[in-house]
Amino acid sequence: MQGTPEETYEALLARNEVLQLQLDEAESIIEAIRNGEVDALIVKKDNEPQIYSLKSADHTYRVFIEKMNDGAITLDRDGIIIYCNSSFSNMVNIPSEEMLGTSFLDIIPSAYAEEVNGLLQKGWNGDSKTEMIFPGKNNRNMPVMLSLSPLEIDGGQSLSIIITDLSFQKETQQQKKSLEQKDEFISIASHELKTPVTSIKGYIQLLRYTFKDIDDAKIEEMLVKADAQITKLMSLISELLDVKKIETGQLKYHEEDFDLCKLVKDMVAELENFTDSHTLSFKNDCPCMVHGDPNKIGQVISNLLENAIKYSPAHTPISVEVTAVNGEACCSVQDFGMGIPADQLSKIFERFYRVDGKVENTFSGLGLGLYISAEIIKKHRGKLSVDSEYGKGSVFQFRLPLI
Amino acid sequence: MSKICIADDDADIIGILKMMLQTRGHQVIATTNPTELLTMGSENPDLIILDLWMSGIDGRDILTSLRSQESTKHIPIVFMSANASLKEIAAEYNADDFIEKPFDMGFMLNKIQEVIARSK
Repeated sequence: MQGTPEETYEALLARNEVLQLQLDEAESIIEAIRNGEVDALIVKKDNEPQIYSLKSADHTYRVFIEKMNDGAITLDRDGIIIYCNSSFSNMVNIPSEEMLGTSFLDIIPSAYAEEVNGLLQKGWNGDSKTEMIFPGKNNRNMPVMLSLSPLEIDGGQSLSIIITDLSFQKETQQQKKSLEQKDEFISIASHELKTPVTSIKGYIQLLRYTFKDIDDAKIEEMLVKADAQITKLMSLISELLDVKKIETGQLKYHEEDFDLCKLVKDMVAELENFTDSHTLSFKNDCPCMVHGDPNKIGQVISNLLENAIKYSPAHTPISVEVTAVNGEACCSVQDFGMGIPADQLSKIFERFYRVDGKVENTFSGLGLGLYISAEIIKKHRGKLSVDSEYGKGSVFQFRLPLI
Repeated sequence: MSKICIADDDADIIGILKMMLQTRGHQVIATTNPTELLTMGSENPDLIILDLWMSGIDGRDILTSLRSQESTKHIPIVFMSANASLKEIAAEYNADDFIEKPFDMGFMLNKIQEVIARSK
């Protein structure tokens, strides 16, 4: 059944009005979305309301880009900055409101203008990257990475650029390189210093061997002294190299389980054979098994014993003791020598520190032995300490965890 | 009495070791050019003492070559060097032993005997 043409016209008008209303509504929604006035849309789908959050989602990304460490800018087709985040503004030290509307090429150092211009052209066609130097704050040059990607926003083309500060990365690379150079220096210095010493030591030993038949005590004595000086030179070289290795973390430890008590006892016995100036005594209660590098711990024991002999008058006793206390092995070396002034006691484990005083200054040494010893003990999760009374003597003691 | 081969670019070291070992009755073949070691299979020494850095030639390469050829692969090799990492290098290349420079002559003589005894 058909209605009259008048009725049809009326119906169409009514329907048109409904459609017009819907269109207006849709347009005002879009306008509101554009203006950021809409938080969320609730759309009924299969009678279940679905929420489409708009402002919050957009807000999250805006804050994210605004707060990120990297600089972020957006350029229009003419290379004009239409957005920049605060990180970029900080990087180039220009307020963002000054930057908006200016050409990106204007804030690039002129030396890079041509390269960046080429890069921008490339960037419009696809993702591209380059490294360059930005003149940062306080005239500090800042190495950066530019990453470009073309974007489509509101139907128009724009170019997004992320600017990453590479200062830290470059610094780390530099540090790594300098560590490698130091490591190489140690290796070369060790070789170069030890090679001539090897020949001198060899010749002295040959001479001693040659003169043995002649049986001239004077010559033998001189050669023994020369040999002892070479050995001293060697230990100085080793100390210097050890310090370099400690500084660069290159001192190597070959760890195993060993009896500290036996090690100390053997070293004291060996030293007794070479020392007639002092009487060494050794006391212990039981075996003390520890974990570590016996050579390095031996180096510490040897340093403490040599110091005790060096800084105490002839014919005074030196007592060495190893005990086990509270889960720790404890080795102490006591002398009855000159002692250390109280105000300098805390400094003696410092690198190159030598106790200062009229008599003290007459002793040779680089001031490295105790520093190296303390570092070695520290690496073994132990502690090297000292008790001393000026003019009366000192007790050096190190503790290592028992296993 | 043994036949000992020494390769070191330092003529002083060669001279010292040669004199010392010869006076102890050892036969010494010495060279400052370690590549000569690769063609001395017929000499058949009991031991090779090999310096690590020899003016352009790396003792490690010489060891690898000696170990790879039939005529020399059985000869024990002792690395000798003032290199700070000698111990690690000797272990890495599986050298029979190592002697740090500067060496003590008594230590050197004992080491030589020890390595030869071990290889027999």
